[in-house]
Amino acid sequence: MHPRKIKSSRGWDNQLILQLMLLPALLTLLIFSYLPMFGIVIAFKDYNVLDGLFGGAWVGFDHFREMFGDERFHSALRNTLAMSSIKLVVTFLAPVLFALILNELPLARFKKWTQTLTTLPHFLSYVIIATLTMIFLDPKGIVNGLLQSLGLTNGPIEFLAEPGHFWTLGASLDLWQETGWGAIIYLAAITGINTEIYEAAKVDGAGRLRTIWHINLPAIRSTIVVLLILNIGSLIYGGSNFNQSYLLGNVFNRDTSYVLGYYTLDNGLLQMRYAFATAVDLFQSCISLVLLLAANWAAKKINGSNIF
Amino acid sequence: MNAIKLTWEDKAVNAAAVLIALVLLIVAAYPLYYVLINSLNDGADAASGNIYFYPRKFSLENYSMVFKQNYLITGLGMSVARTVVGTAAAVLVTAMAAYALTKENLRFRKLYLAMAIVTMYFSGGLIPLYFVLNELHLLNNFLVYVLPSLFTFFHCLLFMAFFRELPKELYESAYIDGANDLYIFFKLVIPLSMPVVATISLFVGVNHWNDYFVPSFFISRESLQTLPVILIRLLSLSEAQQQIQQYLGNHQSKVTMESLRYATLFVSILPITLLYPFVQRFFVKGMLVGSIKA
Repeated sequence: MHPRKIKSSRGWDNQLILQLMLLPALLTLLIFSYLPMFGIVIAFKDYNVLDGLFGGAWVGFDHFREMFGDERFHSALRNTLAMSSIKLVVTFLAPVLFALILNELPLARFKKWTQTLTTLPHFLSYVIIATLTMIFLDPKGIVNGLLQSLGLTNGPIEFLAEPGHFWTLGASLDLWQETGWGAIIYLAAITGINTEIYEAAKVDGAGRLRTIWHINLPAIRSTIVVLLILNIGSLIYGGSNFNQSYLLGNVFNRDTSYVLGYYTLDNGLLQMRYAFATAVDLFQSCISLVLLLAANWAAKKINGSNIF
Repeated sequence: MNAIKLTWEDKAVNAAAVLIALVLLIVAAYPLYYVLINSLNDGADAASGNIYFYPRKFSLENYSMVFKQNYLITGLGMSVARTVVGTAAAVLVTAMAAYALTKENLRFRKLYLAMAIVTMYFSGGLIPLYFVLNELHLLNNFLVYVLPSLFTFFHCLLFMAFFRELPKELYESAYIDGANDLYIFFKLVIPLSMPVVATISLFVGVNHWNDYFVPSFFISRESLQTLPVILIRLLSLSEAQQQIQQYLGNHQSKVTMESLRYATLFVSILPITLLYPFVQRFFVKGMLVGSIKA
């Protein structure tokens, strides 16, 4: 049968079925992604409950002016950027190293176990991670006990009550949670390398370390670059920042733990300053959009391919 | 390893790799093990500390206490309900959309794709979403767990990449037999796509099981709260103390607030720990396909 004939005989019925299959997803996008975008107008309005979304007087950029004048906004912006940048530097190479090490493990079963157990933390709720953190880093907890018995510190370290530790703590938690997960994609790329290349290298007398350096690493280089760029794109919303700020932040570490996501929540849902919080969110969205587009552009330049 | 003779370099690399892997293995897994052994230890006895390798005074009382607390049972039930319903619905909606989007003859295909891509870059933000939920009477409604997360474009991309790999002949012979796309999707495509269905189900299911944001800020009714919210309350021990006092009354028990917390923690960790190793073999492959295609 001729393919064109099949297509025409299916015609409208099938088009209708395809459209219906897409409809639930389309409605979800329209209602929960696109409808809220119209709500952004209140960032430029004097919102109050009685007038509704589209009533209220226009106030132009007043909310933004107030935001830039607020000391807590400056603190939140600084903390967000600092935490995201530290995490970017600390966490982006760890999965690469871990994948290279996993690939060298001699026993297949041991390798599988290591991979399974180190990936597991990725799937834990942040509530659980926060609870574990509090248990382990308690002044009387196991980490402080270990540090003291090794003679590394004299008294217990107040990991959660001292503002100076929070950024390091955040990055460490990311390392703990995401290194195993991040390694999966690199390991898959290394596993895909043609075995003939290894054999050729062996014939040429290359040892294990040289093989890693000259074959494995170049094979995952483009993946490293793409993921690095993607991470730069998400600097502002930076995955775990809000979770850490909300669940591990307290009155003692507030100076370093308070991030933009929490600032929005604080002003919006807790103090019910809806218009102001929407302005803060819009500011975040715009910066993150710029970063994402720039990242995508850079990836295109380097890799010759679009990420999305 | 084969009978090939190992050089000293091979041995050194092996030893270093095993050593580093062991350390990381312990660092990753020990906290969870610590929770397990403490949850299995008599509460009063555990208060003196120093339980690091195995339960000192074995007891299942903490767990029986967990399953006697009404608020924990309700939370557990609600977590299960939202995870099962939310995951099934989201996987179905996303897979159907992905199937339709792989069909070149779908009208407005480019427009739909563009609309979906925009949502990866830009969102209305928290407050406008809150208003929409309020208008639709979804606040304090079980459906707020399900509806907003029905469709995720990233998961859709993974489905699309998988569907495109399926043999073309599959569709063509079915079309000739007069089957429509709905029939083909349910009877032919889905049964062949179990690896990607399992992978996405795990991703979506984990998000549902772990989420604390929606119940914290979009739900205030106690009967709709999920396990993570209850865990947040147990985070502050003084509050946990109050809760326990409230439920224990004057009963003598060796369960302490801390031991109850360990047991609750482990109950919430367990489902993922059990499910995930089975799904793992699928998603390693799925991620690779996805990363190449996307």
